[in-house]
Amino acid sequence: MVTQISEWLDERLGWRSVWETIFLRKVPKVNWSYTLGSATLFAAVNQAVTGILLTIYYVPSPDQAYASVQYITTQVPAGWLIRGLHHYGASAMILLTVLHMVRVIFYGSYKYPREMTWFTGVGLLLIVFGFGFSGYLLPWDQKAFWATTVGTRIAEVTPLVGDAILRIMRGGKELTAITLARFFGVHVWFLPATLIILIGIHLYLVIRIGISSVPTREE
Amino acid sequence: MDEQKKREYYEKYQKDKEKGIFFFPDLLFKDAVVSLLLFVALILLAYFVGAPLEEQANPADTTYTPRPEWYFIFLFQLLKYFPGSMEVIGVIAIPTIAILVLAALPLLDRGPKRHFLNRKLWVGITALLMVGVTGLTIVAFLEAPPPFDAFRGDETAALYAENCAGCHGPAISTSSGTNLHTLIAEGEHEGMPAWSADLTSDQIDALAGFILSPLGSRLFADNCGTCHQADQLVASNPLELKQALEEGDGYSGHEGIAVPVWSDTMAPEERTSLVNFLIAPDGQRLFSVNCAPCHGQSVGFAGTESDLRSLISLGGLHLAMPPWQESMSDGEIDLLAKYVVAPATVPEALPEYQQLCSSCHGDRVPKSDDFDQAREIIAGGGSHQTMPIWGNILTPQQLEALVAYTLSAANGTPAAIGQALYSQYCSACHGDFGEGGANPALSGDIIAPISTAEYLKTRDNLTLRSVISQGQPNFGMSPFGSTSGGPLDEDEIDAIVTFIRTWEDNPPVELPPEIQTTAMPLSGPEIYTSLCAQCHGEAGEGGIGPSLLDASLQQTSDREIFESISIGHPITSMIAWGEILTSDQITQIVRHIRNITSSEQSPPAGEVSFSTDVLMIMEAKCNMCHGLLGGWDGTTYRSVMDSGDNAPVVIPGDPEGSLLGLKILGAQTKGTVMPPGGKMDADDIQIILDWITAGALDN
Amino acid sequence: MDDKQQLKRRDFMSIATWAIGILIGAGMGLPAIAYIIGPALREDEAFGWIRLGSISKVELGIPTLFKAKIERQTGWIVNEEEITVYVLTENGRDFIAMSNICTHLGCRVRWIKDQDQFFCPCHNGVFNKAGGVVAGPVPRPLDRFEVKVEDDQLFILGG
Repeated sequence: MVTQISEWLDERLGWRSVWETIFLRKVPKVNWSYTLGSATLFAAVNQAVTGILLTIYYVPSPDQAYASVQYITTQVPAGWLIRGLHHYGASAMILLTVLHMVRVIFYGSYKYPREMTWFTGVGLLLIVFGFGFSGYLLPWDQKAFWATTVGTRIAEVTPLVGDAILRIMRGGKELTAITLARFFGVHVWFLPATLIILIGIHLYLVIRIGISSVPTREE
Repeated sequence: MDEQKKREYYEKYQKDKEKGIFFFPDLLFKDAVVSLLLFVALILLAYFVGAPLEEQANPADTTYTPRPEWYFIFLFQLLKYFPGSMEVIGVIAIPTIAILVLAALPLLDRGPKRHFLNRKLWVGITALLMVGVTGLTIVAFLEAPPPFDAFRGDETAALYAENCAGCHGPAISTSSGTNLHTLIAEGEHEGMPAWSADLTSDQIDALAGFILSPLGSRLFADNCGTCHQADQLVASNPLELKQALEEGDGYSGHEGIAVPVWSDTMAPEERTSLVNFLIAPDGQRLFSVNCAPCHGQSVGFAGTESDLRSLISLGGLHLAMPPWQESMSDGEIDLLAKYVVAPATVPEALPEYQQLCSSCHGDRVPKSDDFDQAREIIAGGGSHQTMPIWGNILTPQQLEALVAYTLSAANGTPAAIGQALYSQYCSACHGDFGEGGANPALSGDIIAPISTAEYLKTRDNLTLRSVISQGQPNFGMSPFGSTSGGPLDEDEIDAIVTFIRTWEDNPPVELPPEIQTTAMPLSGPEIYTSLCAQCHGEAGEGGIGPSLLDASLQQTSDREIFESISIGHPITSMIAWGEILTSDQITQIVRHIRNITSSEQSPPAGEVSFSTDVLMIMEAKCNMCHGLLGGWDGTTYRSVMDSGDNAPVVIPGDPEGSLLGLKILGAQTKGTVMPPGGKMDADDIQIILDWITAGALDN
Repeated sequence: MDDKQQLKRRDFMSIATWAIGILIGAGMGLPAIAYIIGPALREDEAFGWIRLGSISKVELGIPTLFKAKIERQTGWIVNEEEITVYVLTENGRDFIAMSNICTHLGCRVRWIKDQDQFFCPCHNGVFNKAGGVVAGPVPRPLDRFEVKVEDDQLFILGG
């Protein structure tokens, strides 16, 4: 029965060849540090799933953001878990991205023919930091508000365009409902869209070129 | 990498793969295990620690110390090492360069070698960076753990960490002459609140001391902290402080306590830091603590900076007062001494005081509680050492700040500056006391009083500022702010607002006075004089506004001048007069402008008219006293020529022989200079002199 | 390591990988389901007795409209809602309180005096004076509230 269904599906989807290229490919023997990339991917998936769940209740408005986060944390079943996973997942994501990067540098994995993989990786790092910064404001608690006030103020230091950057980030001179709304928009639409595209390219390249082998002393 | 190397790499990689494993399940199993561990770790964190949620955001809460999430904190820490204008390096330059180098890594490190021992440079740089980032993060956590733990002992530093460090970092550099106390108390720029709402005046003093002398705060905590709290000792009397530091247990407050002579145990620099901390070198504060008790809110001082500095640092020997007993009766001296002790009890002594004492002592009485002492000093005169030798007491920084502040304060308080500006720019329409009057710009309109309690209560400073700055073109009030093309900058407008506010406590006008509205003068010259001349000058010579004598005006058609007046010029003070004046009136102004600009320059001398020119000056400058209070009377031609104790005061054709001429020039032979408030405008004086020269005719 | 052992090892890893995948999926999926449906399972808030007003305001034989304000906590928001009730009495002692919400699709019914009927404007549902179905697509009579009278004040049991 199972075989029949899988045959039927394979005839139409060709999933078997996809499965073979992605999962049944040969890779060099590597050590545990090579799991950092997939761990980062797992953290990203975790962020996506829990993030989507959080938007079910979260309201990006100064009137309600805090109350809705409080509601998620204290009232909704497993809300504390979803929010906890998202909160600590964010830290894990940053930590893993950086460690993954350090591993890549250590083994020289960014070298020919994997330069493009590296470039997309640096892009991903920036996006992850962007996630961290924009997500920080959303709970609209004291820490969120003041850290973002200072964080956006820092951008003001930029020569010439500092003030403009500050205003664009905040959507005005002050940190207001507009700021919260746009941080939310960036956090759940702009950044995820870019993240998915870059992860797609990154993974495609990893599978196409194959993971680098651990270099020997002569290499 | 050349093609050869590339091929070699692929061959080697192919071999590795053949020797290798399958992605599924061999490697994926590892990935799955790591992911599971990660997932479990996250669940445990969520369960046992939980995602934090602080109080709801409160933009008005000024005591919150913002700290970024841990992964940004190294950047936050980095900023602390780049204070002031260097900030841009820490904020923009370093991160941008780091990202660019990171991104370009494959282009920078192009060698075929991959093993880390063969790429020591780049692996080294990475390691260094990681150590740096980790180090900064650790330092940030060590440096600013919850402030109360960090600064146990140095409570001022804790106060600083709690309230200031969040935005200002570990230290603030200020330019000398900053009135820190005021600045902290009142707040200044965006995000800097008025701390006086949250902190006591003593705490603000302590903070000011800490900012200017953090080392002093440390020394205080180490040496004095066991017995004293900083906010109880700050801004204390420097004389007392000096004694406490120099006399050890001989100092009355330290009796019976084993207190060292601090001046001996501390290095001179340390002592200076300590004194700077306890008495911040903040001019305004120093003045109000140390000088104001005798000198009042400000002193009149007209000398140079170095004079003032030596005067303050050398102390009271500066006053060589005449021995008044030689020229005054005992009764007069008694009266003056009484006045010095308690001015309110002997108001009759005021003229005497003003005449004899004000030039040195200002309006402020050198305060004394002891009648006998005051009397003795006044009678004996000479150098009386009333002022401490501040040079021995204050640190150089404190002295510097005090001198700077006193000098600037001597120029006048904002209200005084404001008053001068008001009478220059505003009183023509609004009256000397803001009582309003007929609107010269708008026929039949009355300018309501602006000094009534009601008016001032219903308008905040912002409103007043914007009215002055942007004017009210619909009512004929030009914009005065420099941003709108007017003559006043923001500080000047602030000063005027401050002056106007002084009416609030004591409104000079209670009710809108009954004002007869004058019909709009129809003649071109009259309109020109009352409206245009304010900016363009009586003869079109210019002033605030451009000169009308410019040759280009000759090429301008009447029509263009008409439109220029009617439509105005946006962003300048020239409002669209067409909304206020009729086109007939504007046409007349144009004609008048043509007249005064085409007829050759300089208004003809010797044609001064008594009835229009001289009498007008008399009305404005003399007749508020003369004519009402007796003596010489300036209200009619006859009385001008004939009345007065020293009549005649006018000798036709001889201004230097006429008492009137001498008095207004300040060269009088009898009595004092007139008007008593100071000389009149040079123009006015010249008109009167011209009139006398021309024979003092009744024309 | 011979081939057989190798095979066994790979089978184990294969199964273990799947198992971990399922474990993580469940670890995330089950809380997610609870999280999503949680508020739906919450019991509706009971409001207890809601005071409508004095019984003297009820006209004999004619459904009279009453409005009452209630505070409803929905999620993190407290709303003040107005509930609208038709109260009917034939004898001044027994009262029936009917919701003005049409049992068809939830539009608001209104009392048409001339015809002595409730009429729902959405799909022409018609109820009689006591809320019974007269015509139209309505499935059941108008919902009723439990009523009590205390000190001449009319109360309904909210829920």
